[in-house]
Formats: sequence, structure tokens, C-alpha cells
Amino acid sequence: MLSNLGNLFITLTLLSSFLLIYYSAVGLKKNGSLIPEKIFRISKTQCLFTILSFFILLVAYIFSDFSLINVYENSHTTKPLLYKISGVWGNHEGSLLLWIVILVIFSLLFLNLNKLADKKFRLFTLIFQNILISGFLIFLITNSNPFSKLYPVPNEGMGLNPILQDPALAIHPPLLYLGFVGSSIYFSAALASLITKYNGSNFAKTIKFWVLTSWFFQTIGILAGSIWAYYELGWGGYWFWDPVENSSLMPWFLMTALIHSILILEKKNDIYLWVIILSILTFTMSVTGTFLVRSGILNSVHTFANDPSRGLYILIFLSIMIFSSLYIFYKYAPSKKSNFQFLSKEFFILINNWFMIFFLIVVLIGTLYPIVLEVISEQKISVGPPYYVIVMAPFLIPFLYFVSRGPQAQWFSAQSNNKKKNFLVLFFSVVIILVFFYFTKVKDVLINLILIFSIYLILQTILDFFRNIKKNYFNLSRIISHLAFGFLIFFISINSIFSTEYDLNLKNGEKIKLDNYEIELKDLNILNEKNYKKIVGNVIIRDQKKDTFEFLEPEIRVYNMPETVTYEASIKSNLFFDTYVTMSNLSGSEFYNLKFQRKPFMILIWLSIIFIGVGGFLRLLPMRQKK
Amino acid sequence: MLVRAAKKRIKILVATLSLLILIAIFSLVVLRDNILYFLSPTEIKNSENLNYSKKIRVGGMVKTGSVSINNNEINFIITDLSNEIFVTFKGTVPNLFSEGKGVVAEGKLKDKKFFIAKRILAKHDENYMPPSAEKILNKDVK
Amino acid sequence: MKKIIFTIISISLFLFFIILFDSLKINRVYNTEELVGKPIPSINLEYLNEDKYFNTSDLSKNQFTLINFFSSWCGPCRKEHKYLISLSEKNLKIVGINFKDKKQNANQFLNDLGNPYYLTLEDNTGKKSVDFGVYGIPETILINKNLLIIKKYIGPIDKKDMNEILRSSGIK
Repeated sequence: MLSNLGNLFITLTLLSSFLLIYYSAVGLKKNGSLIPEKIFRISKTQCLFTILSFFILLVAYIFSDFSLINVYENSHTTKPLLYKISGVWGNHEGSLLLWIVILVIFSLLFLNLNKLADKKFRLFTLIFQNILISGFLIFLITNSNPFSKLYPVPNEGMGLNPILQDPALAIHPPLLYLGFVGSSIYFSAALASLITKYNGSNFAKTIKFWVLTSWFFQTIGILAGSIWAYYELGWGGYWFWDPVENSSLMPWFLMTALIHSILILEKKNDIYLWVIILSILTFTMSVTGTFLVRSGILNSVHTFANDPSRGLYILIFLSIMIFSSLYIFYKYAPSKKSNFQFLSKEFFILINNWFMIFFLIVVLIGTLYPIVLEVISEQKISVGPPYYVIVMAPFLIPFLYFVSRGPQAQWFSAQSNNKKKNFLVLFFSVVIILVFFYFTKVKDVLINLILIFSIYLILQTILDFFRNIKKNYFNLSRIISHLAFGFLIFFISINSIFSTEYDLNLKNGEKIKLDNYEIELKDLNILNEKNYKKIVGNVIIRDQKKDTFEFLEPEIRVYNMPETVTYEASIKSNLFFDTYVTMSNLSGSEFYNLKFQRKPFMILIWLSIIFIGVGGFLRLLPMRQKK
Repeated sequence: MLVRAAKKRIKILVATLSLLILIAIFSLVVLRDNILYFLSPTEIKNSENLNYSKKIRVGGMVKTGSVSINNNEINFIITDLSNEIFVTFKGTVPNLFSEGKGVVAEGKLKDKKFFIAKRILAKHDENYMPPSAEKILNKDVK
Repeated sequence: MKKIIFTIISISLFLFFIILFDSLKINRVYNTEELVGKPIPSINLEYLNEDKYFNTSDLSKNQFTLINFFSSWCGPCRKEHKYLISLSEKNLKIVGINFKDKKQNANQFLNDLGNPYYLTLEDNTGKKSVDFGVYGIPETILINKNLLIIKKYIGPIDKKDMNEILRSSGIK
């Protein structure tokens, strides 16, 4: 019943998509500056259809209708409601449906939000959007249908992997998708803009909202994924340079580049082609990321259910997308020369773009190199995390410098009268680090330089803030994001130097002394929960220097549907450091393995990322008011 | 005037290009140093020039019933169905590590049958089933 | 100039896509090829519903035997079940080995979906299946009367696999 309804609605969505393409094409030929009312109506109905189909899947999950294979494979009656809901997008089919729903909603919003834009431009964008929508829908219907039936109907489902039952991961995919799919709008708009020879500065104004929105969600999405890895994966890291993580980071670089470069396009009507290229690349990168994740061609720690036919479809789709945009670009791109003033604001923004592209290429090479090598030489390799750090870290130093200089520069001219001040700030940052160095004796030159320049950025941004107050002109969103970025780099560097980690095996009741700590496994309790049994260890950590105690309760959980063991880290956070303990026990030996970690500034790292996002979000608010 | 502008442009171009090349060389050198070869037990068995001093990754399944733990280390067997390798590891295994599931061990080879792991990466999966239950390409025997 | 740049970009992208397409074809980690032609181990397994033991060497009575590892909690097992049933209807002898399961659930599973097995054995600890080289279920092994492995399937079998099994066992 639900299966048929669901199938009906997705078919209707596909039909509306075809209709929209047809009517938009007809509308293009007609004169007049208004988009036919019909198109708005179809677009709204289409939106209704997809939301309904998603709603049906949601209902199937909430009421555990196991006649759908998808629900059977990913849900269970005893699962908490939150995870029944997040189960909808916790698997390939459901997440693809969510992707399409967001795509449809965004297209409708685009159509409605840009009433002032040129008709042809909007219609072309709508056509490209609907080509994308139908492409994904055909994929969904033919290959990954979440509404496939199962007969006979089982009484109980297989449940969701306990490791995925986590609030951060429940919201992670929707957030990332808002980012990924948001970039489809400016992909389509860029192509439409090329074809209709749309005015560059108007184009910038139209896509600005979407760039900011997608960037904001992407930032928060990456954060949620990172927090999940930190809490659930149990080895205390928050970023692993894993291909799956990289594929969410790569579009982020491009979006960040775009946020900056559309400013030039908007103000100066320059670098039009560059913005177009970035817009096209961002969505392409998003789909490439999806391809890498879903096709399973990567040797990743995160494996998703792999199905080569899925990979094949996405790859064909991707190549069509890339080659047709390349063709459109080739055919319609106007040739235009830019004129640049050295050290003007545009100059610094372009420098930002170069760095972003550089970071992108580094990550891209690290991610794709193993694939290429495997095809060519049949050698399986993976690229170790040090590669990313060693290549990118030195470039952070000039990057931080340019980030602090950029906002002071003037549009169109190279005037600068802050040379003395800049030097003073730099001098001050060096002094701070020297004092810091005196106490800590961190010998790594690179880390010290990065610290100096992150402090430099922080100080410069604060000064910038005061200058803004004087001038009574605020660019609060830039100040917040740049400041938070400076803090982020600062905290990450500190965290990487001062994290400590101990591994030890203890019997119940035993204690052990390590450096300044005394660690005791006091006792173990066994508790029964709704769908799992847990062994809770009472761990006492005594800091002998400060004579303080900390009580932690790491858990070993044994889930019953079907039997899966997970280890829950016990984390005590405060503003300055996290204490992180995981406990494991294998094959019923009397020894419990404890991993004890001290990680400074974790909370502040999360906060910095949140504030980077908040900065972007603030930009969205006044834009809304203008409309 | 025009000539001077052109000269300036060429200078900038040359400077950018040489900078790019330098960066590229730097990146590639770092990349080469940080490559971890990913081998299956069978590949280790068949390989003739193994480097015992370089870190590698061994991937496969944790053989069911092979995990044992003692005072300070965990021992288990990684299998790819055809061949097996003994792995010893000190430290906490990730919480996704379990018998019959996919695993990647990072460390150095002692000999062809013995591997000392420095890090264990378990694979997490959106489904419950061991990865084996998923369809695998060319899975049938020729 | 513009043309040249675009041609270069197109060609390099094209090559890149060829590589990606190729990479899809690469076999991932598990290869069962080396097991073909090897004999299955001789193992005593308990009947699911009787207190008797069955030794796998007795399978040499059959011309061909299909050994299938299944469990009631395994989703893909449900997917492949209909193919096992059609195979049993074609008179292929199928042994089912119930893997890490509760007896009651296993019987319920066979009642609901039909029983394709002429022999149902159990391995509730999963230890014995390891001796077969099983690392996850479902898995299906086709052996001949010399107890040599002819085919081994990891993951659920599909229609194509079913026809292949029929061909290899000389039924079709």
C-alpha cells in the first residue's frame, strides 16, 4: 500500500519534471517578460509530490512497515523514534530520496525568490535544475528504489547499525545534502547565465544567497560529521583525512572561494568567467564526492553498501554533466580581460581563491591518486594523513597572513597606510609566542610560525573591528568568520601539540601509575537497557600534580538486534581540555583495555567552527530584509 | 610602454609558473613518502620484494574465533579467504572491530605470516551485515 | 588557443573518466578463486531439529550438492531464498547450514519462506562455518561428489548465479 503510493508520487514528480522542462522550453520562445503561471503551478505540485513521497517513507519507518525492503533492512520496532526517523536517510535509497526532495524544494525556492531576475535566465536555470532532478529520479526508480516491496512481510526488521544511532550523525547527512544540493542551484544558474549572456553583477546577486546558504550548511554538516567521529569512532581523533571526509571538504573549499569571489563580481563586474567556473566545479565536486562514497571504489574506513551498478550510473551522470557544461562553457563563454591592481582588495580575494584551489588540489590528489594507481598498476595504496598535513600546513602561514591583510585593502586601489601598525601587530604576536615558547619549549618551527600567524590574524581582525566601530560601518559576518578561523587554526595547532594518549590493560579493581596520572578501574556494572546490555566501567583518574580526581564511565554495549558490540567513549569536557576514556574487552578475558586521552581545547575547536558558520549566516539576514 | 607591460606580464607569468612547479614537486615528494601500500594476505604471500621497514596496511576480515587478548596485546588473524596473516597489536581497537568484520591494520611486517600493527582501523558500514553479504564484483569463481 | 586549451582539458578529463570506469571493475579485496578445486573439510554438524550428527563426507553420495549458509536475521538471505527454492524444485540437493541463529527463529523462517533444504544442519556458534572459510552470510558453495568445490558465492545469489549453478551441476 505505502509502497504503491510512494512509487506513484515519485513517478508523478518525474512527470512534473518533464513537463517543467517542456513548458520552460516553450516559455523561452514566447515574448513577454513574465514566466507563465503554469510553470509556477507545476513547480509547486512537483514539490508537493516529492514531499509526499518522502513523507510516506517517513511514515513507513515510524510505523515499522516491513513490507518495504528498505524499512526492513534499516529499522526495527524497538528503535527509539529519533533513530526511526533518521533511519530514513541512514541508507543509500532513503538518502537519495532526501537529496531529490531538497533539490526540488530548492528549485521552487529559486523560481520564487528571484522574481526580479531576467525571465530567460530563470527559465534556463529551471530547465537545468529539472534535468538534474530527472537524472537523479531515474537513478532512484531504476536502481535504488526505497519503495521496493518485500514478500512475505517479516515481523521484525534488521535494525540500524548502533554506531549510526547518534544525534550528530542523525543530522549529518541532511546538513551535508543541503550544502551539496544548494550548490546545484548555482551550477544551473551558471550554465543559464552563460547561455543567456546574463549580466555578471546580477548573476552574482542572484546566486549569493545560495552560495552562502550551501556554504553554511556544508560547514555545519562537516562539523556534525567530525563530532560524530570524535564521539563514536572511539579513537579520539576528529578528522582522519579519510576519502569520505575529504569528499565533503572539497566542495567546501570551492564554496569558500566562491563566497569571496562573488564579492568582486558583484561590486566590480569582473572575473565573471572565474565565478562561473567555480560555480560549475562546486556541484561537480559534490557529485564526484557522492560517486566516490557510493560506488565503493575507495579504500575507506567508512564503507557504504557498495553496488557497482550504482557507481556506474552516477559516473555516467557525472560525465554527461561535466562534458555538457564544458561544451556550454566553450560555446558561450565571452572573452573578456580583467584588469587588476596589485594589492587591491580584489587581489587579496583572488589570493584566497588560489589558496582554496591549492588546498582542493592537494586533497583531490590524495583522494584520487590511490584509485588511479590501482587501475594503472593494480597496486592498492592509501595516502597517509601526514601527507595532507605536511603539504598544507606550511601554506597556512602565508594564507593566514593574507587573510589578515585582505580586509584592510581598498577596492580598486593599492593604497595602504597601515604598514607601521601591521608590523607592530606582527611583532606583538611574535612576543606572545616567544613567551609561550619559554614555558612550553615546543621546538617545531612550523607549528610556532602557524601559531604566530594565527594570533596575528586574530589581533588584526580585532583591530579591524575597532576601525569598523570608528567608521560606523560593520561587516560583522566577515569579522566573526575570520576571527573564528584564526582561533580554529590556533586551537587545532595547540591541540595537535599537547594531546596525550595512554593505552593500558587493567583488571577489575586494579590501578596503575603513568607519568602524572594514576588510573584506576574501580569496578564494573552491568545494566540492561531497552535494546542493549551495557557494561559500565567506573574509572577514576587522579592528576597527581594538581591532586584532582575525575570520574569517567566508559561503556561496552552489546546490542541484541543482531548482536553487535560497541564501545562508548566517556568524555568529560571543559573549556580547556577533554578527558577521553574508552574501554574495550575482547573474547571475555579478565583484562580491560583502557585508552585514556587528554585533548586540549576540543570544545573551543567545535565553537570556532560554529562561529565560522555563524559569520556566513549573518550575511544571509540583511539580504533577506532587502527583498 | 606596451613592451614594458608585456615584459612585466612575462615576469609575473614566469614567477607564478616556477612557484607552481616548486609547489607541485614538493607535494609529490611528500605524497611519495606518505603512501601506504594496501595489501591483502594473499598479496603478501605472493609478493617477492617486500619492504619490512616501511609501514603498510593489511586489509581483510577478522577471522571468526581468532581473536585473543592477553596482558598487553591483542592477537588475531586477518584473512582474505585464501590466505591468512597473524596480527599482533598493542592498544585499544576501535569500537567497530569485531570478528567476521572488515578490518584494516596499519603497521609493519615481521615476516610473511606475521604483522605488527600500530593502528587498527575497523570499517563502519551503514548496514548490519558483514560487508561480505553485499554483492561483490566478480564474486563467483571462474 | 582557446580551442587547444579546451581540447586538452576534454582529453584529460576523458582519460580520467576512463580510469574511473575501470576502477569500478576492479575486484574488491575478496577473491574466492583459490578455493575452487579444493575439497571441503570433513565436519560433524548437528541436525537443526534432531539430536543427530551428520558428517559432511556423507555428501559424496550426491552427484552435486549445494551448501547454503543462512540465518533468520540475515536480510540478504531472504532475498536469495526464492532462488534456492527454484533450485530445489529442479532436484538439486541443497544442504542448509543455519548460522548463529535460534532454532525457533530458524524454523519460523523456513515455515514462512518455504524449505528448500533436503538437510538442515545447525552451527549456532558459527565456529564450524569458519572451517568452511565462511566469513559472512549468506554464502553458497557448490560441490561435486568428490567433495571438491566447484563454485563459491559470497553474498546472496541472484538469477544469473542460479542459472550458472544449474549449468555447472549438469541440470540445464
